Amino acid sequence: MLWYTLAYKGWLETRFRLLFSLAFGASYCIAVHSIKVPSGPAFGKPILGAAIMMTIAASVFSIMLSGAGIATQPSFQATKGLHGSTLFTLSLPVSRFRLLAVRASLGWLELAGAIAATCCAMWFLFPPLRATATPEEMIKYAVVLIICGSGLYAIPVLLATFLDDQWRMQGSGIAFGALWWLSNHTPLPTSANIFRAMGEGSPLIAHAMPWTAMAFSLELAAILFFAALKVVQTREY
Amino acid sequence: MSDYIIETNQLWKSFKGQPALRGLDLRVPAGSIFGFLGRNGAGKTTTIKTLMGLLRADGGTARVFGTSVTDTDGTLEKRAIEVRRRIGFVTEDKELYPYMTVEQIIRFTRPFFPKWRDDLEQRYLKMFELPPKKKIPDLSKGMRSKLMLLLAISRGAELLILDEPTDGLDPAATEDVLRELVAIAASSGTTMFFSSHQLSEVELIADHIGIIEQGKMIVAGSLDDMKAQYQRLQVVFTNSVEMPSRWVGGVEHVRQEGRVVSILASHNVDAIVEQARALPGTAVERFPVTLKEIFLEHVRSN
Repeated sequence: MLWYTLAYKGWLETRFRLLFSLAFGASYCIAVHSIKVPSGPAFGKPILGAAIMMTIAASVFSIMLSGAGIATQPSFQATKGLHGSTLFTLSLPVSRFRLLAVRASLGWLELAGAIAATCCAMWFLFPPLRATATPEEMIKYAVVLIICGSGLYAIPVLLATFLDDQWRMQGSGIAFGALWWLSNHTPLPTSANIFRAMGEGSPLIAHAMPWTAMAFSLELAAILFFAALKVVQTREY
Repeated sequence: MSDYIIETNQLWKSFKGQPALRGLDLRVPAGSIFGFLGRNGAGKTTTIKTLMGLLRADGGTARVFGTSVTDTDGTLEKRAIEVRRRIGFVTEDKELYPYMTVEQIIRFTRPFFPKWRDDLEQRYLKMFELPPKKKIPDLSKGMRSKLMLLLAISRGAELLILDEPTDGLDPAATEDVLRELVAIAASSGTTMFFSSHQLSEVELIADHIGIIEQGKMIVAGSLDDMKAQYQRLQVVFTNSVEMPSRWVGGVEHVRQEGRVVSILASHNVDAIVEQARALPGTAVERFPVTLKEIFLEHVRSN
């Protein structure tokens, strides 16, 4: 039951971040709900596009917040250097693989929860979305966001293994930007573009699952997780 | 199996080309209370981290419970986990998770150690007057030291590695803790390897001593033997001071104040006394030395 114990520790570290992430998503939804949307088919597509952009933004924010390595992360106080208790963690009879795997899994569950909650709220609070998409498409869209978000999520997980807590968010933002730029300026097939899969290639607009991008995202997540594992296994804290 | 719980041979470790351990030879006998002394930056914490398998040595060997904790074949972590399961550890800075309460950190630590002793946990909770519901940042440094000791002792460990265990404790609490450590060592045969700057405390409970300086062990052995070997001689000259051109072997340090010459001898004391008495107009007295004197003499001369 060591995973449970480690997950409990992780939960105590991240619960306020998750709450903040949910509050951020909720504020988006409330803002969207208060917008008076003009009726008529001409407004349908841009409005839907704006809703999707907002959902993506809220999701990416959750992803940036959720990533973590094996070092202690004092809740919400980004710190420079390792917290002294990291040595206590490392002195326990547990492998660094297990420490990282439990922490990364917990963060992933939290981001999946935050994305699902944001999608749900958008669906109920934003009538134009209900008018243009079916519930099934919205569920599919949430799945796409979570899967495509997994590739992005592995970036802060990797960064957290060697960056101080106070630089992780900024580092993740820069890395997301770089990945977005690369996605649009490299000969990578459009179907593998995970940012496109969350937007115009998503089930809400393209009415099909972006399988290639989802597979690419999972592959990216696996590679980055493996890299993070190598860092924590070789790093001397 | 070796009689030593901890054994290192020519252990080397560098950080960015800067050597922290330079061929450290350390032997900690099973069941002993071993005081590991050294100045700040001498290599104590690096040694402890290497023994815990948290750092990879650059050269030499290190064994804990007979298990190698140096990385020779890429399986260090697996071996280190087995070793850590049998060790109780108190870190130097006494930092624990700031978002946990006393009872939460106990609940968190317990499952990692199959031999966890509930009776000891309850005993020390009561004895150290640790409030279970209090958050760790709200505890004083002394209370955090006590909590770390509880977490280390309750593991049912065969070896306690304690880095400055009484740091932050008041004199009364220090005495309680030291008494408990001795009682644990006596009742369960637990080996204790502890570093401290409080030499009087070390002298009170340790039966073996090792002094590390610049990553090398400069003195090691039984404290009783050490105290029997080391003596301070006071030579009082009635007239002018006439020192010999060369003292016999065993003289570690000579200090002169007026007509009084103080000599620290590490061995060969009788011969030194004889040589001093042969000098014109001298009275020689022998005094036992404290651990502090031995420590200071060695680190200064290095």
